[in-house]
Amino acid sequence: MPNITESELVMKLKARDKSSLEYLYDNYSAALFGVISRIIRNEKIAEEVLQDVFLKIWDRISFYDPEKGRLFTWMLNVARNQAIDRTRSREINNDKKTSELESFVSAIEARGNEELATDAIGLDEVLNNLPEEQSFVVRQLYIKGYTHRELADEFDIPLGTVKTRLRLAMMELRKQLDIK
Amino acid sequence: MNIEEYISTGVLEAYVLGELTPTQRLNVESKLRQEPTLREELRLIEQTLEAFAQRGAIKPGEGVRSALLSKLDGQKEAKVVPINSQPTKLAMAASVAIALLTSYLSYYYYRQYQQTSQTLGNLVAQSQQLAQDYSVVNERLDKMQNDLSIMGSAAFSRIIMKGTDNAPDAMASVYWNSATEEVYLSIHQMKALTQESQYQLWAIVEGKPVNAGVFDMDPGGLLAMKPVSGASAFAVTVEPRGGMPTPNMATMQVIGTMPKT
Repeated sequence: MPNITESELVMKLKARDKSSLEYLYDNYSAALFGVISRIIRNEKIAEEVLQDVFLKIWDRISFYDPEKGRLFTWMLNVARNQAIDRTRSREINNDKKTSELESFVSAIEARGNEELATDAIGLDEVLNNLPEEQSFVVRQLYIKGYTHRELADEFDIPLGTVKTRLRLAMMELRKQLDIK
Repeated sequence: MNIEEYISTGVLEAYVLGELTPTQRLNVESKLRQEPTLREELRLIEQTLEAFAQRGAIKPGEGVRSALLSKLDGQKEAKVVPINSQPTKLAMAASVAIALLTSYLSYYYYRQYQQTSQTLGNLVAQSQQLAQDYSVVNERLDKMQNDLSIMGSAAFSRIIMKGTDNAPDAMASVYWNSATEEVYLSIHQMKALTQESQYQLWAIVEGKPVNAGVFDMDPGGLLAMKPVSGASAFAVTVEPRGGMPTPNMATMQVIGTMPKT
């Protein structure tokens, strides 16, 4: 399947055409794996999550509505949510084992304190050109997997400010990534 | 709110990342249907997000693809169990209806709860901001009241210091309580100094200058200085930052003597 349009691809996926999922995997697995790996540092678990994500895309494609956004955006959110869910369930398990009552957010924070080696690839380059407060918001949301509300609560930033900072950051990224 | 303002709140970015409540999402979707500008903006945001994700792409291990595909082949379609008898059908229908209703209700109340807690969060943030603003204003008011009571007090003498030849336009006043030895300074006009220097206030006690403290420009109201007793005059010189033990008389800016009583 050489370059097919997104709507054709979606039609084939909805018709349960397996070659369309292969096409999807070949073109988007690395981008989605990049998202997952930044939230989950363990490569083995990240790969498991990636597989789950594609299974979920396959199972849930009938819920995808092209009217509401692009296929990639939908897949990205499936990946992001799956990765976040996985870190949470893992942490809950750890908590049970150590019978330690850690707050949920500090668990997320611990996750972020692991080394940031993978961020050296490609993203730091664009993020470092952003004002500190903007790159901070992108890193927390995108790389550490905070939701807007968690970020607002944890760092005592009003929710509206989180949204506008993300907005400014996206405008800047748009310029740098030359999106027209 | 016009379209530009609406876009600048970042609501579309939040929409794209699935961070909106269902009500907010429906609102965005209906606006998208009406506004081509909004649709174009959404397209740009989604493309930026995809380009950003592609920029950060990491190739997964080779094994994942084949594992995924074999898992897909192993999947079986769910079996459909035929339902024959009429009573079972009715019971099924009833239980399905109840299940649907309860799950709808729990979903509905959960969303209500989420929205309420978000509204509450916003209100708490707003009230914290107001409380902070209030305490700043209150502090300022306290200071002004305190300043006024000093200026109006009979216990304080006011010594007006006029500009010397060095600074003919300069003017400042000292409010001095000779009983409690308190000294307050009020600047009417003095020029700004470089980073390295500072003004220093001197009290003339029995003909000798006594250090009464250093200060920078415009503190906004009265400035408390060091206590002084037996002063007959006050003067201000320019000294290196931090002040000196003895004044450099050549730099004197303003001087004033105690009014005769």
